[in-house]
Amino acid sequence: MSAVLGLERPQVVSHVQQALSYTVFDCKWVPRSARLMCLGSAARGTGIIQLYELHGARLEVLREIEKPKPIKCGTFGATSLQQRYLATGDFDGNLNIWNLEAPEIPVYSVKGHKEIINSIDGVGGLGIGEGAPEIVTGSRDGTVKVWDPRQKDTPVANMEPVQGESKRDCWTVAFGNAYNQEERVVCAGYDNGDIKLFDLKTMSLRWETNIKNGVCSVEFDRKDINMNKLVATSLEGKFHVFDMRTQHPTKGFASVSEKAQKSTIWQVRHLPQNRDIFMTSGGSGSLHLWKYEYPAQRSKKDSEGSEMGVAGSLSLLQNVTLSTQPISSLDWSPDKKGLCVCGAFDQTVRVLIVTKLNKI
Amino acid sequence: MPVWLREHSWRQSLTAVYLSLPLRGARATAANIFCSEQYLKVSIPPFLFEAVLYAPIDDTNSTAKIGNGNIFFTLYKKEPAMWDSLTLANADKEKLQHLRENAVLEAQEKAKEETKAKKVTKQENKKYALEATMKLEEAERKRIEDLKEKERQKVTKELELWKNQQKDGDKYKSIQAKEELHQEKEPLKERQNEKLNKTRIPNEGSSKTRLKSTRGRGSCSIFSQDLREEQLPAPRAAATIKVNFTPRVFPTALRESRVAEEEEWLHKQAEARRIINSDLSELEDLKEEEKNPDWLKDKGNKMFAMGDYLGAVNAYNLAVRLNNKLPLLYLNRAACHLKLRNLHKAIEDSSKALELLTPPVPDNENARVKAHVRRGTAFCQLELYTEGLQDYEAALKIDPKNKIIEKDAEKIRQLIQGTMQSS
Repeated sequence: MSAVLGLERPQVVSHVQQALSYTVFDCKWVPRSARLMCLGSAARGTGIIQLYELHGARLEVLREIEKPKPIKCGTFGATSLQQRYLATGDFDGNLNIWNLEAPEIPVYSVKGHKEIINSIDGVGGLGIGEGAPEIVTGSRDGTVKVWDPRQKDTPVANMEPVQGESKRDCWTVAFGNAYNQEERVVCAGYDNGDIKLFDLKTMSLRWETNIKNGVCSVEFDRKDINMNKLVATSLEGKFHVFDMRTQHPTKGFASVSEKAQKSTIWQVRHLPQNRDIFMTSGGSGSLHLWKYEYPAQRSKKDSEGSEMGVAGSLSLLQNVTLSTQPISSLDWSPDKKGLCVCGAFDQTVRVLIVTKLNKI
Repeated sequence: MPVWLREHSWRQSLTAVYLSLPLRGARATAANIFCSEQYLKVSIPPFLFEAVLYAPIDDTNSTAKIGNGNIFFTLYKKEPAMWDSLTLANADKEKLQHLRENAVLEAQEKAKEETKAKKVTKQENKKYALEATMKLEEAERKRIEDLKEKERQKVTKELELWKNQQKDGDKYKSIQAKEELHQEKEPLKERQNEKLNKTRIPNEGSSKTRLKSTRGRGSCSIFSQDLREEQLPAPRAAATIKVNFTPRVFPTALRESRVAEEEEWLHKQAEARRIINSDLSELEDLKEEEKNPDWLKDKGNKMFAMGDYLGAVNAYNLAVRLNNKLPLLYLNRAACHLKLRNLHKAIEDSSKALELLTPPVPDNENARVKAHVRRGTAFCQLELYTEGLQDYEAALKIDPKNKIIEKDAEKIRQLIQGTMQSS
């Protein structure tokens, strides 16, 4: 491939690299700003929240907050644009919502789970979508709970194992299908390869499947539309893209899968400005940028006349290796197209710019 | 004796000597001419021409033209002077010899130097070529780097621009935030004392008093934000969904590449548990030696020898329960079953024994022969003669020298042919 052609593809440019003195588990952009949050665990076993601001070619620490328990994950998804409260889940199973201007006392706090909260997602805030703001947490104790910040102590939905069933770790959760005030869907991925789709309007299990490898990350391409696509990444370097528009009564959703690399795919994040482009981060410290192409017909009739979906195809736009350690967290900036931050287990957080996304 | 060529003709100018040498029919090439500073020789066997020149010549620039049965030499004099004659007149044999040798040596040295010079130039050329390619590659690389750098800079500039926009927007917000903090602190403390409440976050109430929420977004968004906040639905009615998981024995995550290993491990565990269970339940009252499969095998053999076939089968059964990987147990049990006319069981046991006796090596030849023979016998007694013959032939293949097997195989063949003829 000639160099000229290579340069017409999107390039991942490393803009800033910041070494941290703690293990970073999650990093998120603060909406409507050039600031980002890093959440993690310090060596002495306490939790750290750091607020950075992007100044030219470096990151400046604005604030550092220390909490008694290490923090695993956080989201801004359920707060309004004015408040921009951060919801975090920590290693002890506590869900807290913090006002970053006054972080001593949480705005909302509950010991939601008996074990570490592995993953958190929020919906209904930030001017995206409609309906009540809600936060979902998935934990190692096998339960997935949905919280409303206006209701203390008890979750509004609780997906727990049947009595007597042995529990599996829930590794990832995601909201979707929140296109009006009533509809909401939660997708949860577990370590035994299960993916379950819970419908919150009917409070029932809508679909489940098993992808034969522990599920590391699930994300809908957009939370606030009729559910369109779901990407689920797993161990062993595989990920699946499900077409969520057509559900077949027995076969479920159509999917296409890709084996990108030999190591675990830790995260998938869709570009907020283009829902067909997403980035996956891998255990070998690499990032892959993918584009999904829809098939000519998105659904077709099967032999019995019921509708079934047709999966499209994937093309790899770019891949780059940034680190030798897994890149465990990834977040696109909702305000600037192509700006993203990633945090890796080599205790560095990197701000990257992906170019030429307009031309795709 | 060479034939001397004497009919040469020559003329000269101040700087050069022109010598013409007719060849009398012989053909000449460049290799036949030997020339040094003061000595010229043309040797085309059997013809020979040599001349010790009057004065030294410049032999590198001198030329010889071969053609028309003639060699035409153009010799450039080192010193421009007229020569009295072509050759040195009074050259005696020794001097000639000396001169000849010198000439040869000179020529050799010259050749050596020429090769050296060639080598040096070659090296230099190579180096030059290498440097040239390196430069080209560098240039290419630099070009790409430059392009990338340009991208980076462009993107950084855009980022800065965007960031400045954000900053301005934030300045307003920070002013607002400070005002609100005061408002917030009290309600926060109030809420902490309450146990259960469904009130909205106090901020929502004060949002209406705010004039500017974000810069450059217009006033319509503020109003829509307020309206939306008023329309937020009440928190959902709490409910639980029961979940069933795909069963998995191991507490670790599922990986496709490990599935085979895990299956094997589980299988082995199950086997081990089976054995332990069977041991525990019935064998507590057995003596120590009776739990040893080898001891049991010997016991079985003894009982077989004495004719107590049922007892032998029992002993073998117990031994198999303890260790089902010993082929001899099955083999011997097959023999017992044959005697007891439990033909199907005999076939089963011989088959199992054969299975365990893989790979087929000389060591277990004996056992395999026995297994085949026993199975063959069982088949024949069941009147499945073709299968029996197959087994006998297999036994013969392993041990072709065994007369008994041969005889029996022959008998079976007869039987088969007999039945075929009669049917």
